[in-house]
Amino acid sequence: MVKVVIKNLTKKFGEVIAVKNLDLDIKDKEFFILLGPSGCGKSTALLCIAGLIKPDEGEIWLDNKLVTSPEHDVQVPPQEREVAMVFQDYALYPHMTVYQNIAFPLEVRKKSKGEIEKGVKATAELLGIPRLLDRKPKQLSGGQRQRVALGRAIVREPKIFLMDEPLANLDAKLRVRMRIELKKLHQKLGTTTVYVTHDQVEAMSIGDRVAVLKDGVLQQVSTPKELYDAPRNIFVAGFIGSPAMNMLEGNLVKKNETLMIDLEVSMFELPTWAEEKMKEAKESKVILGFRPEHISLAKKYQKNAIEAKVDMLELIGRELHVHLTAGECSFVAITMPTEDVKVGENVWMVLDEEKIHIFDEKTGEALI
Amino acid sequence: MKFPRPRRILLYALLILFAFAFILPFWTCITTSLKTNQDVKSTVPVEPPTSPTLEPWMEALNIMEKPLLNSLTFTLLATIFSCFIGSINGYVLSKIRFKGSDMVFLFFAIGIFIPYQIVLIPLVLTMSRLGLYNSIEGLILTHTAYGIPVCTLLFRNFYKEIPDSLIMAAKTDGAGTWTIYRRILLPLSSAPFVVTGVLQFTSIWNDFLFGLVLARGTEALPASVALANLKGTTTAFWNVQMAGALWYALPVVVVYLILGKYLIKGYMAGAVKG
Amino acid sequence: MKENVIALLVLLPSVLLVGYFVYVSIGWNVVVSLSDWKGLEPSYTIIGFGRYAELFHDPVFWISLKNNLLLILLFVPSSLLVGLFLAILLDMKVREEGIFRTIYLLPFAISFVITASLWAWMYDPEVGVINILLEKVGLGFLKTGWVSDPTIAIYCVILALTWQFSGYTMLIFLAGIRSIPESQVMAAEVDGAYGFSLYRRIIIPQLKSSALAAFVVLMVFALKGFDFIYVLTGGGPGGWSTDVLPLEMFKETFSKTHFAYGAAYATVLFMIVMIIVVPYLYMSSRRKEQ
Repeated sequence: MVKVVIKNLTKKFGEVIAVKNLDLDIKDKEFFILLGPSGCGKSTALLCIAGLIKPDEGEIWLDNKLVTSPEHDVQVPPQEREVAMVFQDYALYPHMTVYQNIAFPLEVRKKSKGEIEKGVKATAELLGIPRLLDRKPKQLSGGQRQRVALGRAIVREPKIFLMDEPLANLDAKLRVRMRIELKKLHQKLGTTTVYVTHDQVEAMSIGDRVAVLKDGVLQQVSTPKELYDAPRNIFVAGFIGSPAMNMLEGNLVKKNETLMIDLEVSMFELPTWAEEKMKEAKESKVILGFRPEHISLAKKYQKNAIEAKVDMLELIGRELHVHLTAGECSFVAITMPTEDVKVGENVWMVLDEEKIHIFDEKTGEALI
Repeated sequence: MKFPRPRRILLYALLILFAFAFILPFWTCITTSLKTNQDVKSTVPVEPPTSPTLEPWMEALNIMEKPLLNSLTFTLLATIFSCFIGSINGYVLSKIRFKGSDMVFLFFAIGIFIPYQIVLIPLVLTMSRLGLYNSIEGLILTHTAYGIPVCTLLFRNFYKEIPDSLIMAAKTDGAGTWTIYRRILLPLSSAPFVVTGVLQFTSIWNDFLFGLVLARGTEALPASVALANLKGTTTAFWNVQMAGALWYALPVVVVYLILGKYLIKGYMAGAVKG
Repeated sequence: MKENVIALLVLLPSVLLVGYFVYVSIGWNVVVSLSDWKGLEPSYTIIGFGRYAELFHDPVFWISLKNNLLLILLFVPSSLLVGLFLAILLDMKVREEGIFRTIYLLPFAISFVITASLWAWMYDPEVGVINILLEKVGLGFLKTGWVSDPTIAIYCVILALTWQFSGYTMLIFLAGIRSIPESQVMAAEVDGAYGFSLYRRIIIPQLKSSALAAFVVLMVFALKGFDFIYVLTGGGPGGWSTDVLPLEMFKETFSKTHFAYGAAYATVLFMIVMIIVVPYLYMSSRRKEQ
């Protein structure tokens, strides 16, 4: 049972707070993702777990052992933590062959020659690189180097894998292929993995659970589905999903016993289920959120529809992305390529009322 | 930038003129070293010897043999010591972040720029108190000590170019500080060792001031001082002096010939991409 | 952290060595300069700044300082100019660039003792190649005593040193010129600049930082260069015509055993060098942060 428990982790670099009061509970065998834009602190957190950085405050428990705690003067060095790490630039030892690279962690731990050979060969088989063992890193392609880096991590059968944007340097097609392979590998080995990325598609695709960070602060921890369907604040809502969620500012008002949002361009009456949840809400500024695929376009006015003008059309194979403007706001809607709509046309956006989101304008928190 | 023909001719004329001016001293040095005393007096320096002879070379070697061996000894040893010390210092200063590492670096850096006149008197006093005055050991100690700052600087700058992720990978792989140096950094250090080694060898071999101040006696006389002494005497005529100068120049030329291409390779390579 | 301890242990011997041989020694020298030590027996009775007063009243000090300043004013610019000129010549896509470059660099790689011996030989009024060649090409009236003539000896030294250092400045400028992106040169050519004006208005102005780096190195040498002058002229002829501060320091200390006086010389020299080096180091570390 290898869990990773992080409590109240804080790390400052001079004036900048890289990680602020981070609490995470990573389960055994989980493929856990730290997601966020650059500078959000995810790599810093990872390096703290590895023991390569000493935090200012907080505790880190690996497999029920306290490995980091500045308050108690505990800082187990990375060499003793039984974690393995894969870096963004792979960090392969350039003067060693692939074999020697993968063998290194075993050699350092003084394993016997026989054990080392067995381990390296098995790992190479697993990753499909047995024929590369005699080559040096500079003779390998990006994808091959990536596998060697993985091999070096796997060969010592560590308790935890840490990966810092391992796919970022690969070209797009390779990235997609590799992330599937990574997930399959994880299913096979079952090792608890903490994976850092800024690519939300990647996170959604392979994560068991995803922690979204912004400016060092944890925004939300959920399964990919939950993150997508029920983002807890504006940041998460806008970060997850591409094209991004459409957002409209408005005022929450009570008119004749019904809750409505005054969107300036139109009035939006809240559906019953939303009204139920917002019973206690006061009149305030809110943001209405709706995903591009939850919009249908109509030629005529319907109740709660928002009028907009078609600005531009993007035909992306399977989908048609319709860019619209209403007043000063822009929107994106996703429809079928066969949709009958032209640039310059005025249409009505009809929202799927089961799937709307409402956020408090001041705090950014989701109200429903 | 291609110029029309007449300009091109002017360009080459200038280049050759300057080349002539730069080579002239060496040419006359070589020709003179092969002339008999007669020749030196009767021929123009630029002219080759009428009856070439290796006499001056033999005579110069007689005088300079021990000094050359002295110089070879302390130069090689001081170079090796200062390079290795510079290497581990450079490693520690570039890869281990600790409070004050910048201060320590500055501490060394200033040592590179001081005019050595300011330390001559204390140096003499120190060496005599340690009983190392007029000794090869004293020269080794001196050149190593004053070589540490520049070697540290060179190695630190080189190691800074090696990605930190390589060190971090080694740490998570289980390697301790010394293992990281021995198995990761050192194998990648051939370029800085060559560059720093050649630099140190050249500057220690060419050193005159320390030799003059610390080892004028016969035991540890460096070749540089011996050569300068040749000039003062009336017994060594110009041809012997020139031959002496060539003997003295030989090791540095050999070093450049052998290691020169590694120097260039070292500058070209340095690609430490994993 | 264990790592930090290892770091400190590794650095300790070097810090001690450098601390002693550099910093403690500087302080020691200053102390000696304030003492009355004269002769072979060390004496540490502190007298105060008397030595310095003596120094500033000593005409030899001023002559030496003057020669150093001559070096700064003549040797430094001439080395920079010759080096710049050679660099521009070599930038002209000459096929044999490598050979010429090696030739021009050769003097810089050779020890001062050797080059001083060479120039002593060349400057010899009777058998030296310079006078003999002048005679042969009909310019015999230009023959002089060169370094044996007190009035022009220092200029002969400056010429020889320029010869020695031009290869170094050439290398620095060449690297600077080559670091200017080709696209910029092409844009300038399209704009109509070519040949001389191209260099004058586009390339040379961008060599400022290279020039500055070379400038500081040459300046420091102009102040502390000892080997060459010692071997070539020993400070003479005529006593002090080519004397410079490092030479005087050496003579006072080791020939005349006026240790305290020599220490004062050394301290003054040190201060002058620091005045140049420290602001430069400060400026360049500032620029690195930017």
